[in-house]
Amino acid sequence: MDAFGMGLVAAMGALATVAGASEDIDSDIGSQSNPNSQVQLAAQVGNPHRIYNKAIAGEPPSNALWCATACIMAYVLIEGFHMPLLFATVAGASLAALFDGVMATSAYFGRSASQSRFNQWIYLDIVRYTTPSIMAHVWITSFCVTLIAVIQVYVLTPHHPFPIPVIGLIWGITIGAIGSSVGDIHYGGEREFQWRLFGQGLNTMLSGQIVRKAEAGLRNSIDNAWFCAKFGGPCTGLGFGLTVFCDNWRTTVFDPVTQAPYAIAMGVIFVILMNVYNLYMEISARKKYGPYPGYKGDIAA
Amino acid sequence: MSMTFDINTLVYMLEIVVGSLLVSVGVHFVPVGGAPAAMAQATGIGTGTVTLAAGSGLTGLLSAGLMMSVTDNIWPILATGAVGSMIMMDATMLTGDFIYSYAVGCPYASAKVNYDPITMFPQPPYVAPGTVGQGIPTVCFVSGTIGALLGGVGGAMIYYPCMQISGNPAQSAIFALGIFFVQSVIPSWNIQGTIEGFHDPKFKKWPLAFKASLIAGILLAIMTVLIQPLGGA
Repeated sequence: MDAFGMGLVAAMGALATVAGASEDIDSDIGSQSNPNSQVQLAAQVGNPHRIYNKAIAGEPPSNALWCATACIMAYVLIEGFHMPLLFATVAGASLAALFDGVMATSAYFGRSASQSRFNQWIYLDIVRYTTPSIMAHVWITSFCVTLIAVIQVYVLTPHHPFPIPVIGLIWGITIGAIGSSVGDIHYGGEREFQWRLFGQGLNTMLSGQIVRKAEAGLRNSIDNAWFCAKFGGPCTGLGFGLTVFCDNWRTTVFDPVTQAPYAIAMGVIFVILMNVYNLYMEISARKKYGPYPGYKGDIAA
Repeated sequence: MSMTFDINTLVYMLEIVVGSLLVSVGVHFVPVGGAPAAMAQATGIGTGTVTLAAGSGLTGLLSAGLMMSVTDNIWPILATGAVGSMIMMDATMLTGDFIYSYAVGCPYASAKVNYDPITMFPQPPYVAPGTVGQGIPTVCFVSGTIGALLGGVGGAMIYYPCMQISGNPAQSAIFALGIFFVQSVIPSWNIQGTIEGFHDPKFKKWPLAFKASLIAGILLAIMTVLIQPLGGA
């Protein structure tokens, strides 16, 4: 263990936290992931809306694509042209953002056009000012992930044996999986349905009845990002940050060559701690919120 | 590098098949609620089976790849793969539960059992009306951790022989990734997209996926030992 290595692992954790947050906000602005099923449904049950709609793929494959694209460009610039690492990363992230802009625009046009029979319009002003902010968030995500891969392969010891595009692909899938399991709940469970009773999930009867009015005027996707950036985004960042930091911390503090059992045992301790913490949260949530008032079964709470 | 068939080839194939089966069974343990869970409408993690299993298993693969670059001993490689995978899965479930309890404001409850088999907490009074549970209660959390353990070991066990054959980390990782995806799609059909964990009645269907994954695993193992030597580093 050396101080430089620990600093790098801390930097990777910080980068991962930022990447996770921006990934989730990107999927909220674009309404990309699971909660988009309700956005799709809304127009079909008679609620046309001004929400952006870029769900052409699940979050994990699409983020894997952006991150791998950024990493490939960075890899070519580093290995082929001996460019500085940071410059190569910036160039790669910019390419990924451009790709995403193309995909997002075509997805919005395609998805909205296919719903024209339900009176869903295509709003050009939405395309104009939402697409750049989607691209900006993808830029941040792919920049951070590429930089993590670059640190793992070129700087941190022991160097990772995979080339950076493979690491980018894998972290891309992971960040998408976390973003779609964590941040989406804030968007789907809370933001899309704000007029139902607080403290419960979406009643099946209310499917498709999403909120269409904003704090001022009609709600659009930027309003959703404003809301989700307060909690859903940071939580996603925490999830991905924990993953990257804990996983690399244990192999940096304990040398994998001579102290492999300690590195593994440390990981097991992290896992046990997280299990116990979840149990604590479960107990405290049950105590604070209590059973639902309308329950009529025989099982006592 | 030329192709040679010997006893080692059989061992490599066996490792790939066993790894495949571990991934396939492991996916059944992961509590996935799909899109409904993202609206706090069903118990489990709010995403698809394949992506979640892949996300955790591949994080394990990154750890296993790092370990394999410094040692040839299979045990630390498998163990570190499992640990990496469990860390990812637990971090995801934990931060997901932050949102269920602090943003949506609901207690965690399973709709498939009356009492949580681990904590013995009653479940039905805590299931919101019009939903099939929400959040990730202890039994689902533990089940997810076991699933990630099996997935991580499985992924590392597929990566290990690939690496032994070709010595090329990038190619071996891509092969392991591909086999991993095949073996997590097969059980997803079996559980029809959502499952709560080992306490869910759907879990009893695992032998079906086991058989399908065995056949797919054998085919993939044959292809791997044929193709891997071509791209040696």
